[in-house]
Order: sequence, then C-alpha cells, then structure tokens
Amino acid sequence: MKPDPLNRDFLLKLYEKMVLIREFEERVKFLFLEGTMPGTIHQCQGQEATAVGVCAALAADDFITSTFRGHGHALAKGLGVQEMLDELFGARTGCCKGKGGSMHMGNMDKGMVPGIAIVAGGIPLAAGMALAFKMQQKPQVVACFFGDGAVAEGAFHEAVNMAAIWALPVILVCENNHYGASTRVDKVMKNPRISDRAASYGFRGETVDGNDVLAVLAAAQRAAEECRSGQGPVLLELMTYRRTGHSRRDACHYQPKEERELWFSRDPIERFGAQLMERNDVTAADLAGVKARVEQQINEGVERAKVAPQPTVAELTEDVFA
Amino acid sequence: MEIEFKMPDLATTDSEIKVIRWLVAPGEAIKRGQALLEVETDKAMMEVESIATGTLKAASVKVGDGIVAGQLIAVIESDAIAAKPATPPAPAAPGPASAPTHLPAGGMFAKNRAASAKAAVESGPAKLALTATQRTVGRRLQESKQNAPHFYLQASANAEPMLRARTAAAPAKIAWDAFFAQAVGRALKKFNRMACRFEADHLVPATTADVGVAVDHEGELYVVALADPSAKSAAEISQELRGKVERLRAGDPEARKLRSAAMTVTNLGATRVEAFTAIISPPEAAILAIGRVAPTAIVEAGGIVAQNRVTLTLSADHRVVNGKYAADFLTEIIRELESL
Repeated sequence: MKPDPLNRDFLLKLYEKMVLIREFEERVKFLFLEGTMPGTIHQCQGQEATAVGVCAALAADDFITSTFRGHGHALAKGLGVQEMLDELFGARTGCCKGKGGSMHMGNMDKGMVPGIAIVAGGIPLAAGMALAFKMQQKPQVVACFFGDGAVAEGAFHEAVNMAAIWALPVILVCENNHYGASTRVDKVMKNPRISDRAASYGFRGETVDGNDVLAVLAAAQRAAEECRSGQGPVLLELMTYRRTGHSRRDACHYQPKEERELWFSRDPIERFGAQLMERNDVTAADLAGVKARVEQQINEGVERAKVAPQPTVAELTEDVFA
Repeated sequence: MEIEFKMPDLATTDSEIKVIRWLVAPGEAIKRGQALLEVETDKAMMEVESIATGTLKAASVKVGDGIVAGQLIAVIESDAIAAKPATPPAPAAPGPASAPTHLPAGGMFAKNRAASAKAAVESGPAKLALTATQRTVGRRLQESKQNAPHFYLQASANAEPMLRARTAAAPAKIAWDAFFAQAVGRALKKFNRMACRFEADHLVPATTADVGVAVDHEGELYVVALADPSAKSAAEISQELRGKVERLRAGDPEARKLRSAAMTVTNLGATRVEAFTAIISPPEAAILAIGRVAPTAIVEAGGIVAQNRVTLTLSADHRVVNGKYAADFLTEIIRELESL
C-alpha cells in the first residue's frame, strides 16, 4: 500500500504492524521462559516505531540489513509470522530453513538480508549492496539498521566514509536505544548526538523521535527520496529505548528507574493509538480488533511451529559454509 | 490445569544457577510475567518470571539449591482452561520423512545439559560441584595471584586503644573491623596511590573511597563495601557494617552484588590465626589481613609488660606501589589504630 499519512487504512496497517511486533516479542519471551524454543533472544519491545516507520517508506524490492535484534525489522519488512516462528523453532520451514535462528532472521525475496549479529557488521554490507544498485543503475535503496553501540566500531567509519564519497543510496538508520549492552551511550561518546557525525563525512544527518512512527516515516521518506536521486547517503538517528535486557539472560539492573518510567510513558504504540483515536473514523473497537487479530495469528503460528518439521542430519551441511 | 515450570536457560554459560529466594509462597496467586523467584547465575542476579497465571502449587527447589536449566522448579495450577488438545493446524509444508518433533520442555539441549551436569557430579566418588559464587571467586583470585605481583609487609599494632574504645562504647559493641576499615580509609587519604588500579601501562585512581570488608556467609566469600569510612566514627562504621552483613545473610540480592572498593580488609581475628597473607581482590592494589588480638609480652622502658597486640599483613601490587611507599602506608594505619 502506498504510504499516505492521511489514509485511514494505511495508518491502521502501520498500527497493526507495530502491535504485531509487540505481541510477537512478548510471545517469544514466554516461549523462551517455557524452554520450548531453543537459543537466547534479543528483543525490541518499545522500539516498534523505528522498524515500522522506516520499512513503510521503502518499496518491496528495496533492501534492509539488520542486527541480532531483528525480529521487528523482519516483521516490518514483510516477513511472515509463520516463517519466523518456524525459524525460531529450528524448523526446515523457517525463513532460513531453521539454520539461522533468532539472530539471523531474513528473506532475500522480501528484501531483508538475514540478520548480521556482528555489531556494525551490516554497514559495510549495506554500502556494498548500495554500490551494486548504483553501478547497475537500479532505483533501489538499502536501509541499514544498527544501534548506538555500532557507531564506535571501525566498520561504521570505513563503510560510512565510502558511502559518502560514492554518494551511495543507503539510509543509515541508527536506532539509538541508549544502551550498548549494559553501557549507557553517554559513557562512550563525548558528543552523544549521533546524527552530528554525518556532517563530518559530508552528508545530511537528522535526529528523529524514534517512538513517533509518523515522524520516522516522514524522515525515512525524505531520506529514500534523496538516496534515489543520487544525494545519498543519509544518516537517521532514531531516539528510542530498549526496555528489555540486552538479551534474555541480562537482568537489566543498570537502567535507572526514573529513566525507564519516562520512556515507558512514551510508548510508541500507545502514542500512535491515541493519535489514531483523534480521527473520527477510527474507534476503540478498531484498535481492539487489531490486537485480537494479531493474537490469533500468533497463537496459530506457535501451534504450527511447535510441530513443524526439523531439518534432518542429511541436510546438516546444506546451505551453510561452516 | 497443572503446569510444570522448568528453569529457563538464563545463565550465560552452562553453569549452575543458585536459588536465592522465592518471591511467591505456595498457595499464593501469580500472574504470567510476575517474578516468581530470584536466582544467581555466574554473571548476575535475575528474577525468573512465571510462565502462567494461576496459583503456585509447589516450589520444587529450595533456597540455596544449585540447579540447571531445564530442571523442574515449580508446579503452577493454571487458571486457563486446558489449552485445546493437540489438534494443531497442519504444518504448512510437511517435509519428507521427518517425524513431527515436539521439543523437550527446557529446550532442545536442556536434556543433554541436565544429563551432563548430573554426570559431572555423579562420576567418580569425590567430585563436588562448585557454586556460581565460588567459581567466580576462584577465577578472580587466580587471575589476581597470577597477574598482580604481590609483596607482603607485616607489622603489629598495640590493640589496647581499640579495647578501651570498645569498653567505653559498652553496652554497644563495636565490630573490630570498624576500627580497621576506619584506619585504612584515613591512611588512604594520605597514601592515595594505594587506591589506584593498574591498567596496562598506567594507573587509574579508584572512583570510590569505600573500604571493603570480607565476609564469610555459609562458606561463601563476599565483600561488603563501607561508604568512605575516613570521616566517620567507629560506632557509625560498625552499625553500617552490621546492617550490611545482616542484609547479606537475609539473602537481599542488592547486598550480595559485587561492589568495587578502594581497598579491602580481611579479618580472621575470631580464630586462632595470628597472621596471614591474603590475595588482592582485583582491580584493587592492596588488601590488609588481620590476625587475632592477643596478649603479648613486649619490652617497654627496659621492662617486660603484657599488652594486647594484633598483627597486620599488607599484600600490595608491586606494579602500583614500591616497598617503601607500602611500608609508610602500613605504618600510617598502625599510627591511626594506636592513636584512637
């Protein structure tokens, strides 16, 4: 559907995607606690607006790269609940045939490179894809998601510098959730405004309220347009907050209570829901219906994933390098 | 419907997880997502959230138990009507010749992990599993002893002023460690290099003026950090120490957390040990070991008199300080103790 911030159906679609991400993550959390699903998980509750806002500005054949915290990006880019749950359960019907798991969600047919779990590892790759699009004179852009922790990596500098000198069509999407694992961002940056860095490479950067999905959408649309017209790259710094531990094994005791409360009061879904309710063509029943639909979709997906076929030993070395 | 709740895989390694306390008692109502119990992994204290809403029917593990991921920890009587019996929708794309595989509860690998942990304990007659705390203490102290070049200085102090202060405070009892922590805190103000941390090729001053006191709790070693004791009275320090030790023994997870201190005091004075050398607690640069206070014959004004004395042994990191500096520091501690 064409992104139109005035269109009711489009806005409800955005809302549904955000609710889907939240409910997916909540369910996955309990699947982990129950021990029914293998592996640890890195969750994105509270960061739904960044993934949904950016991906809504992209075309189906544009690409994204993601991180170890990629469930939200995947759902926003159009991966299905079933292929993702199957992947989490290690099933051969998963989006990476059960061999990628939580940290490597992706589906090239849907424009998502399987998640790159190395911090900042996706940035050179995104720049490379953007270079390919440019050399082949294709109109596609790449949106490259990374966190605040990635900005201090050498790979960030090297890839961003190349993207700048070659004016590559890559939207550098920094989800600034304030914590690199257990370290608060201001402990590792003298200038905590990450978008400022763009100017030093000679391109445009902008800081956006990452918990306001329409603000993110508008910024991503501007960035995509600039990239397509040869004025890339663009750095978007989306201010948001990680409300879970770094992974499920992190108790997250280092986040101050007041800071958590402040960010919980800026919940992106509640905010967008309230905005929608201001329209005279959206009712509380519409929003409740979204939640019920999403819950049912996930419930059914989980039941299927639990009995989805596992890869056999004979397939062990297929599709993998090591 | 009864739900068996197995320990989630919360440790960063396959290490044992220790049960610290139950936050819900059997018979009490619980909600899905509510913290049920607190556990200690090799890395952190964590709350384990309930996977169901209902009533806690049975707590299957006790405080102090060492458990592994996948082990049964609780039985929950769930409010939910039994979930629809297994008539799940058909798999979207059934793979050839692959039987449906219900994962074992506790995860794919939990069974193996539980089995190997069990085997580790059961094979051979004399193996004892280490607790998570003991493993961490062992790893850190091994690292310290191997990396920090320790040297040791020993001297004794007249304990009569401390005994007089204790008598004067009666019926309140001042902990011996309060005097030692106070003296160390004060001496550190003059000898601040003792509170530096060694990092590669430079020294970093400690960001705290707290003094740590080693505490034994059920055979486990903890360090209680006393907030800068240099400007406080021994009575105040004693009260703070007792409060913190009580909280530690009561299982308060905050009290069990590792705190950084400028330096640590360790005291075996309650035993027959007269003097001992201690291993520095990294990243600190020194530790003071206290022996028992005992009447000793000393020569005073040409005659022999009996005096209560205590032997102090300072372990110091030679990368941070040299012998003369450490000797002056130890002398300053003794001067503080004797001028109470």
